[in-house]
Amino acid sequence: MEEEKNTQSQENESEEIRVGVYVCHCGGNISDVVDTKAVVEALKKKPNVKIAKDFVFMCSDPGQKLIIDDIIENNINRIVVSACSPTLHETTFRKALTRAGLNPYLYEHVNIREQDSWVHKGENEAATAKAIRLTAAGVEKIARQDPLEPIVVNAEGHVVVIGGGVAGMRAALALFKRGLGVTLIEKGDRLGGRALELDKVYPTEEKATDIVSQLENAVRSEKLDVRLNCEIEMIEGFVGNFDVQIRDKDSKIDKVRAGAIVLATGFDHYQPYEGEFGYGKSPVVVTLPEFNKLIADMPQSDKFTYKGKEIKNLAFIHCVGSRQVEGVHQPQADGRVNEYCSRVCCTATLHTINKTLDKFPNLNIFDLYKDIRTYGHGHEDYYEKASKRGVTFFRYTDDSIPEYAPSPNGSGATLTMKDVLTWNEEVSIPADMIVLATGMVPREISNLVGMLKLPTGTDRFLQEVHPKLRPVELANNGIMIAGTCQGPMDITESCAAAGASAAKVSILLSKKTIEMDPYVARVDEAKCDGCKLCLAECEYKGALFMAENYAHVNPALCVGCGACVAVCPPRAINIAGWTLDQFDGMIDAISMEELEPAMVPA
Amino acid sequence: MGDHNNMKILLITTMISSYPGANTVGQAHLHYSPGTYIIRVPDPVVFPESFYMRCYEKGIDGIIIMSSGSDCPYEGAYRRLSERVARVYVQMKENGIDTSRLKLTTICTVCKAAFLKEINEMQKNILQARSEKEGVAA
Repeated sequence: MEEEKNTQSQENESEEIRVGVYVCHCGGNISDVVDTKAVVEALKKKPNVKIAKDFVFMCSDPGQKLIIDDIIENNINRIVVSACSPTLHETTFRKALTRAGLNPYLYEHVNIREQDSWVHKGENEAATAKAIRLTAAGVEKIARQDPLEPIVVNAEGHVVVIGGGVAGMRAALALFKRGLGVTLIEKGDRLGGRALELDKVYPTEEKATDIVSQLENAVRSEKLDVRLNCEIEMIEGFVGNFDVQIRDKDSKIDKVRAGAIVLATGFDHYQPYEGEFGYGKSPVVVTLPEFNKLIADMPQSDKFTYKGKEIKNLAFIHCVGSRQVEGVHQPQADGRVNEYCSRVCCTATLHTINKTLDKFPNLNIFDLYKDIRTYGHGHEDYYEKASKRGVTFFRYTDDSIPEYAPSPNGSGATLTMKDVLTWNEEVSIPADMIVLATGMVPREISNLVGMLKLPTGTDRFLQEVHPKLRPVELANNGIMIAGTCQGPMDITESCAAAGASAAKVSILLSKKTIEMDPYVARVDEAKCDGCKLCLAECEYKGALFMAENYAHVNPALCVGCGACVAVCPPRAINIAGWTLDQFDGMIDAISMEELEPAMVPA
Repeated sequence: MGDHNNMKILLITTMISSYPGANTVGQAHLHYSPGTYIIRVPDPVVFPESFYMRCYEKGIDGIIIMSSGSDCPYEGAYRRLSERVARVYVQMKENGIDTSRLKLTTICTVCKAAFLKEINEMQKNILQARSEKEGVAA
């Protein structure tokens, strides 16, 4: 295999590499297991390392001062800190480098705590050898590191919010109150979205239409730019500078420039197929949203009458269209089943059951569930209340999904299943009416997904970068998500997500320019032979293009995934700060058969 | 444990998912072999086939790619990675390298048990491959 030794990139080859290595004790968290003195002595013998020190807490002010002084007094121009996880203190040390006048990206953080001392207790010698190798790998990486600058783009102080439901309105209002211009685009003829279909909502028992009215009034009084009956024709550009073309009902196109986009496109209800638990064939089988609409305006009564017949026995079936199992349930249009839990339907069903009993206290209600997942604050109360009011619960499994059999006279049905709660006793439940607790499914937004190359999960909802660390951001810079376009959630959660999205956008657009991490693709034009192999790998329109016979990168559009890097034979394209040459150097350090003799501590 | 310490396993982790996952294992003070080395990347799709082959050439015994799987935030990256790993397997076979020494898996920020399981399995695979090789040589 051809070996390419490249200890310095073209950019820094004229400069002498002077690495400072700093090994942290972390007050004993590291030094109780790793012999930090031995690490220092070993690293001192490594080429390019001019200074190696250990200290009790590198993140402390005196620890940072060690680094700053060495940069200033000893001309150290690359820093390696072996300490805790970089997620904790990478920023701390970058700032220290900046204070010393050194480019903040000429620093490598090596994790010898969470990934060494804490997981190898009692194996001190091996943990120390590992720390030496990992730190040496850090030296190899930083020796090949060029100074990097954040990517700076101009930012339009305007946001386009797509979707005028509760989440969209909440996000729009929060953005407007933070001083940003907002255009709120709604496909329908009024604001409110799916909430307009609801009656009273948990946990506050407010009327959903009242919530919508409050939000709409606020939106109107703030004089936000609201576009009803409008759809997105095209979106081009990148973070800070999106050009959004909006088509109105007369097919007239208007253009809006936005620094960021919030997607609040909502959800659709799962639509049972014909015959699923009798749906579509029997008039007494309805979905939960249909049932809620039906009883919304009914007065309180001793009798519940539907289609001219008194309903005495009412059955609810959970998980219709959710938590489906391949081979058991009928696949959706794309051939996949809905494996995900729709989350909100359990509480929504129990809330409806209680509401129904408030109006019709004489009803016999049967609740057929797989699992009850009333996960929110106070939601379990609906289950408790329903239990105390005499609702009979039956639990089924995927092996024994309730079987629907219409009554001979066509007026009702019998549901047969094995009930887990009575040790799999087969039960037949008479039902005059059946309510299917249907879940949420992703709304059809394939035009937006295709246009913006939006990531979707296996559940087909929009996929955030990380559910905990970056829960409202997409991998596409400058595009946030709010509400049920991301997955099933209730109004409370949708509003929280909308607030989070608005906060993220506000931070992003708080200045007239946006600074982004420089970890995007970069082309060495001297090495690029114009083969275009990289272009076929890039999923992000406009991020990578050819001009003057070599590849160019638009850093604002590149997400830094590196798909293009792997296919470039001359290694002309790399992710800045994460080049293949740097990784090769790290592997060399890690794979040292034994520690290099020169590095073995005396 | 001695045999395990004599092997080098490279874990390729993603910055957003399996690298924090490895930290979670550390925060729980769970134990695994010190012969395990973790590197982080924006996404493992960045590595060409030659990177893996070079690792084996340099003496890395096993590689576990801890990707984000179908939850990968980068459009098309996981599909490309899977296809690339399939091509690496072909090259491994051509070069007489046991294919069980490379594993593509999915690890998230809280997958402690799965993280440890993958390392244990890789250790077993490496020992098995070694004993088979020694058997052939004998």
